[in-house]
Amino acid sequence: MNFLSPRLSDLQLITYNQQQKMIWHIAKRELYDNLNSLRFALATVLLLALMLTNAVVYLREHPARTQAYHNAAADAVKALEARSTSLYRLATEGPGGLHKIPSPLRFCAEGDEVFLPKHADGRNYIRDIANLTAVWRMGYPQETPSLHNIRPDFTTLDWAFIVSYVLSFVAILFTFDTISGELERGTLRLTLANSVPRHTVLIGKFLGAFISVNMPFAIAVLMNLLLISTSDAVQLNAGAWGRLGILYAIVILYASLFIALGLLISAAVRESGVSLVVLLLIWVSFVVFMPNTLASIGSRISVPIAYVEFWNQRIRLSDEARAAYQDKYGGSQTKPPVHVLGEYVSKEAEEHERYNEAYLKEQIMQGKRARAITRISPAAIVQRLFESFAGTGFERHLQFIENVQRYAREYREFVVDTDRADPASLHVVGIREGMSQKPVSPEAIPKFKDTLSLNRDFNTAATDLLLLVLFLVVLMSGAYLAFIRLEI
Amino acid sequence: MLMTLIRRELLDNLMTFRFAAAVFITLLLVVAATAVLIKDYERRLVDYNTSVETHQQNVRKRQTYSPAIVRVYVDRPPNPLSLFNVGLDNRLGNEINVSPWHVPSLWDAQMNSSDNSFLNIFSSIDIVFIFEVVLSLLALIFAYDALAGEYEGGTLRLVLTHPVQRGYILLAKYISAMLCLLMPLLMSLLLALILLTTSTSIYLTTDDFLRVGGIILASVAYLSVFYFIGLLISAVTRRTSTALMLSIFVWGFLVLVYPNVVLATTAPQDTSAERGASAFGQIKQIWEEFDRERKHFLATDPVPGEDPMFDIDSPDGWGAGDGFSENRLTLSYYYWSVLYYNGKLTEESLPRVPHAQNYYGFLWRQIIDTADQTWLIRRQTLEDIFVKPALIDRILLKLSPVGMYDAATQAWTGTDLKGLQDFFDAVRQYQRTVIAYLYDREAFKSRLWFASDETVVDWDTLPQFSFERSSIGTNTKRALPDLLLLLTINVVLFTIIFLIFIKSEV
Repeated sequence: MNFLSPRLSDLQLITYNQQQKMIWHIAKRELYDNLNSLRFALATVLLLALMLTNAVVYLREHPARTQAYHNAAADAVKALEARSTSLYRLATEGPGGLHKIPSPLRFCAEGDEVFLPKHADGRNYIRDIANLTAVWRMGYPQETPSLHNIRPDFTTLDWAFIVSYVLSFVAILFTFDTISGELERGTLRLTLANSVPRHTVLIGKFLGAFISVNMPFAIAVLMNLLLISTSDAVQLNAGAWGRLGILYAIVILYASLFIALGLLISAAVRESGVSLVVLLLIWVSFVVFMPNTLASIGSRISVPIAYVEFWNQRIRLSDEARAAYQDKYGGSQTKPPVHVLGEYVSKEAEEHERYNEAYLKEQIMQGKRARAITRISPAAIVQRLFESFAGTGFERHLQFIENVQRYAREYREFVVDTDRADPASLHVVGIREGMSQKPVSPEAIPKFKDTLSLNRDFNTAATDLLLLVLFLVVLMSGAYLAFIRLEI
Repeated sequence: MLMTLIRRELLDNLMTFRFAAAVFITLLLVVAATAVLIKDYERRLVDYNTSVETHQQNVRKRQTYSPAIVRVYVDRPPNPLSLFNVGLDNRLGNEINVSPWHVPSLWDAQMNSSDNSFLNIFSSIDIVFIFEVVLSLLALIFAYDALAGEYEGGTLRLVLTHPVQRGYILLAKYISAMLCLLMPLLMSLLLALILLTTSTSIYLTTDDFLRVGGIILASVAYLSVFYFIGLLISAVTRRTSTALMLSIFVWGFLVLVYPNVVLATTAPQDTSAERGASAFGQIKQIWEEFDRERKHFLATDPVPGEDPMFDIDSPDGWGAGDGFSENRLTLSYYYWSVLYYNGKLTEESLPRVPHAQNYYGFLWRQIIDTADQTWLIRRQTLEDIFVKPALIDRILLKLSPVGMYDAATQAWTGTDLKGLQDFFDAVRQYQRTVIAYLYDREAFKSRLWFASDETVVDWDTLPQFSFERSSIGTNTKRALPDLLLLLTINVVLFTIIFLIFIKSEV
């Protein structure tokens, strides 16, 4: 075939097979260029160092974390079973501490686990009301480790950081000159002088860059997982490996996104120096600044009252309830009927719990708003996706709270049902004289089990996944258009 | 000659797209961040003011000493310069109890603001951070082709055919690049200051402007380090493409990777548990000794078999409580005691009042002495467990210019650890003043400690807490080591580049 003067018929002769061959040819050329380059070596070293640090830090911290959880959970169960001496105790003292199970995939995304509460409490932690024992209610304590933390600020070295910051950085460095560089050297003209359709060239370049970005990352990830899976401190089950697979798919999407961006800017700007500067500035704004600045704007839309304020209000609320009771029944010598007392204690606990939950809801809403607005930045999306699938962070905590609330209902139903089974009881829950005093078999008491459902994770992540794909499609078509219209 | 060279370099740098883009992004980010930070500061200021108001009212509405001194709280005002470098300013507690039963420290402070743990993952971005990331990148971008580009283009040979000293060429390049970097720096600071004046609640003093001057100084030294790093790479590699790649990776490593890797690997271990537990045991022992003495005092008291309330009675209402309070995490352990009667005391309890006065006079002297004793142990242990590792972290961070720059600017703004410790020192000072005041009035052994039947406490003479941020001289002293370190690195890098450049063949 005479490539120097292609006729129409010749162009049509380029079959699908040949096109594919051409794509591979170009991709291979790109790949060889990259493999020999300084940037490939630097990127490999950088990613490898980060991933190994990640594994080492995780292996150092994880066993203690799991141990602490198991101890706390075992203590809680023991305390609960100690209350099985009478149903009345179970009904007033409640299920006790409910603990959040730590995710084995915390090395993928730290979330903000350090700052999130590790447990919820179902106890009667308020004083007795006049001569009555209060009934338990769910409370959601806060973690404030930052109060004592005088270390400098830093970002944790999880996969989410390595991917959203470093991998995108590497992707930009691999692609900023793929088109502009060839334009400057004039080799692009040479390539296109052959009867190669432009989109073939673009796809080839994309593939080349894709493989050269993914290769160092894949090596680093494999080393990381090798370290983690060979250590006997951690057992990753099939579910965890499945989640890791999903996470890797997200990495591929995200890396492609930045490669497409690199190709787009590289084609649009035509000068490598400028294209790198533009890309770096975009990178800095979208990856480093946007997630944080936007979140602080978003969180300010509605601000719940301070926790101290909430705490004081709650004390005021229970004081009022106590005063109201005192006014009504405190003076009289004879005790009011049992069902009046029962109604009173359960109402007090209910109102208290409702108040706790309303405050929690406000905080969650604030967190959700702050997170929603950061979706403009793909880096923030990836951070969220990593958290969702690693079972850490905000969404995971919401799931924990849901589990807690479901369990609280189950526990209450258990108490009511067991009480109903006792013919001697008056069925007034929460009052000593009103309900069954019989011991309960410790095995029969429902125990709290914190679970993670992949199904739910997919649901919460669906929007983010779609957004990521949308970003990718837009950037790909942008790159395609820019390259098609490129004048050489 | 130098002027000609500088003019040439300046035009080369200024007329580029990369310069325009970088300036634009810097201004945009600084304006956005400043707007957010001002709102944040205003919110914290409102929180602070309401909190001060509430705390004062809480004390003033008591008629006797005992329930009031429990409620003496001090609030930490937000630092207006935290806009530039937030440091520890909005992380550490800002509300602290100064009751005489324990010596207040940084670890006893609580947070009084809208603290939502679901937002902790987002870090606040301040102006210095923007300079740290964006302008250092710009410095490298100016530098990477400064020498390599001229080697490649052959223009260096051309320039050197003139009777120009090589040092002059370097100097011209340096001066012009720094001028170009100063432009976005000063422009964005100016914009930030303009935005600040639109806010009615932020008031900057003359000293504050001097401190901002100090921040500019540190920024120039920091950017100059990055320019020299770029120049060094450029001189060594002699090829623009290699120099560019290497510079960007060095930037990513120094700014992004190194600080996080260092802090992640030095994360505090739980080895502190043992040290903390032994100190906590010691503190507890001292307090138990105190409790034995207290019980002994009560037992030998002429009124036999009375509890600390001495069976004093008031029909108008009363409150009482005592006991030990502990927090293992912060090694806090102390004895507290509250007792008060509103209105008239009953006739039959009047003879017991002198006994109660006697007891509380004794009790509080003991409590205050014991608190002082335990503080010595507590302070040492807290230093070992919390402060020392944090200082080591900061030293390790200084292996990257980012760490030095951050430390220097925090020293200027007063949001560093030392600046915060100043506040807690002032709080401890204030606690001594309050105790001295109470001793002076003989409050502990007075009838007014618990009963308001004869007179009520006049709170107007109670000393008020005030905190002045450290003087500019102190700020300078604290910033100087890091500033000098940055300057030394500058000089060293310049010398190396100069030697390489002098000896290089064109």
